[in-house]
Amino acid sequence: MALLELKNISKIYGELKALDNVSLHVDKGEWVAIMGPSGSGKSTMMNIIGCMDKPTKGEVLLDGVDISKESSKRLTDIRRDKIGLIFQQFHMVGYLTAVENVMVSQYYHSMPDEEEALEALGRVGLRERARHLPSQLSGGEQQRVCVARALINHPELILADEPTGNLDEANENIVLDLFRQLHREGTTLIVVTHDPEVAEAAQRTIVLEHGRVAREIVNENFVD
Amino acid sequence: MTKRRMFLRMITASLLRRRSRMLIALLSIGIGATILAGMVTIYYDVPRQMRSQMRSYGANMLLMPDEGETLTTEKLDGVLALLPEEALVGATPYRYVRLDMTSRQQSFTSAGTDFEQVKKTSPYFSVDGRYPEGTREVLVGKEIAETIGVKEGSTMELTYQPSVSSASGEASADWIPGAKLSGSAEGWSGGTMTVTATLGEDGAIAEIAVDASTQTEEFGGRTQTDQAFLSQFIGRKLPLRLNPDADEMVGAGVASAKNSAPEGSDQVDALSGATVSSAAIVNALNSARNADATAKPNTVKYTVTGILVTGGEEEGYVFMSLGDMQSLTGEDKLDVAELSVSAEEEQLNAYAEQIGQSGQGVKARLVKRVTKSETAVLGKLQALVFLVTVVVLLLTMICVSTTMMAVVSERRREIGLRKALGASDNSIRVEFLGEGVFLGILGGVLGALLGFVFAQVVSVNVFGSSITFQPLLLPAAVIVSVLIAAASCLMPIKRAVAIDPALVLKGE
Repeated sequence: MALLELKNISKIYGELKALDNVSLHVDKGEWVAIMGPSGSGKSTMMNIIGCMDKPTKGEVLLDGVDISKESSKRLTDIRRDKIGLIFQQFHMVGYLTAVENVMVSQYYHSMPDEEEALEALGRVGLRERARHLPSQLSGGEQQRVCVARALINHPELILADEPTGNLDEANENIVLDLFRQLHREGTTLIVVTHDPEVAEAAQRTIVLEHGRVAREIVNENFVD
Repeated sequence: MTKRRMFLRMITASLLRRRSRMLIALLSIGIGATILAGMVTIYYDVPRQMRSQMRSYGANMLLMPDEGETLTTEKLDGVLALLPEEALVGATPYRYVRLDMTSRQQSFTSAGTDFEQVKKTSPYFSVDGRYPEGTREVLVGKEIAETIGVKEGSTMELTYQPSVSSASGEASADWIPGAKLSGSAEGWSGGTMTVTATLGEDGAIAEIAVDASTQTEEFGGRTQTDQAFLSQFIGRKLPLRLNPDADEMVGAGVASAKNSAPEGSDQVDALSGATVSSAAIVNALNSARNADATAKPNTVKYTVTGILVTGGEEEGYVFMSLGDMQSLTGEDKLDVAELSVSAEEEQLNAYAEQIGQSGQGVKARLVKRVTKSETAVLGKLQALVFLVTVVVLLLTMICVSTTMMAVVSERRREIGLRKALGASDNSIRVEFLGEGVFLGILGGVLGALLGFVFAQVVSVNVFGSSITFQPLLLPAAVIVSVLIAAASCLMPIKRAVAIDPALVLKGE
């Protein structure tokens, strides 16, 4: 059953076609990687899937609902309820501790619950670092806090933008292991990357070039 | 944990952990609130301060007896009781009497007063020497002092002549035999001549003495010694007149005048060559007779304790204590009381009306010149303070707004992140407003306390007196600071809301 379906979407900035008639189908529980060089339309696609932008043409069905014509206020609600975001630059609130950063996500979603937030941090192996400020955490630790933050509200879709782009190999593996866990639990994952190794961890890779889907690779060696 | 607690945790963390930037905002709000609180304190305290200060310009209210009534010390106390104690700076009673200084043939307006009160209602009085403290002491106006040549430590004899009664010459019936009459009149070339006479059993003149020392020796001066001239007064009753028919005049060496004054008549002959002086003697006797001879003149010797310098008409007066004046005149009577009341013009009018209607037979009048200028000066001062306050508030708002603007640009990514995490526009608004309000509260409390110190310093240095802390100032300063902080946040919030959440994805 499709969680996300892009039907012939285009995003046009003046003369530039950032996305040109792209279609994509992601099933519930699926782990999909999106690859492509800079300017291939990855970010635009990510923005549209993340409910932060709307396509110029085409339909976006998320959980069966067409979100391509929704107001930005509605999009905020949908993003909050269904999507967990992970960013390349980690993006934590600098003056809040790790656990507080996780709670911010709860705060906007429903109710802040410190216990649950600590549990989520425990899951990414950072329970002891919960009271540290981002400046006191390493890059890898920060990204793991972001993973905890993304999963805290049990989103149906986790959307990760270059999640390992700024990480060393050890931390990259930790993050990928977390993704594997989430995948086993049935969370749908869409990971935008240009790192083949990260892409290979997914079940399927979509390669974008010049705003179009150039090819699609199914990972034969996917280990669940 | 509730949402509210998380909200508070977020905004306090934002303020406490991002100190430098927030300190600037806090400082600007704090300084704004300080000046605001200080100015408001001064605004409300200045009239009080200034009113007391302005009271140094003299009395602003006069109390006088109604027509046909007398003002006494007792009555004055009754009227003063109508005024609030703290508003009454001073109340000076005055009793004006004309006293004679016989030795100099001068008479001065003299005032009986309460010197302790004079210091309060007329602080601009300057005394060369000291104010009288004991009895039989006087303060002499500079003008008089120069005329009669007295100085601190001199003594002077002052005589109270009971006032000329309004009754006509008929008072003669009450004359006591042996009563002494004393009168003076203007003789030749304006010199004062004094005549004293003693009345006999029959009310006729028994003895007479003339002081003609001011007259030319070989003419008017002879009236003092010429027995032929003087003897004609003996046995005659007052009033007298000069013989209009005489063509020769009596005097030493002149046995008698042709058509001399008839024996037993009301006429006397003038001394040859001293007509004017003779007429003066007759006038002096007549005026003395007209005075109520039953009340004897009272003469007291006083010590001059100081010379009063005011630059005004007070320099032409002699001042003594009210007690001395009462024992000299034998009357407890006041002519006027000068009041210095610390109140606004409107309030003063209300007091005056209240006094007028108290049924004590006293009316109050405002010294318009003083009250008007006081009101005008205070009004202008308050307007100035108000203007400065408004300008300071505007500057504070600009400063806070600029700081918050910088805060928003500095926190663009954080705001984008919050929006990406699902913060609605309203959440962003509320969060920033919350920080603003928090800053406002902190700045307000800080400002109210510092503002009081500021006002105190200004007050002590400018007005020379301290002020009392207004408890209401604290909540007022906090509320105003919160409003200013919130208003200053409006523009920055608008900008924050416009931030695109997608920016966090672009790896900026």
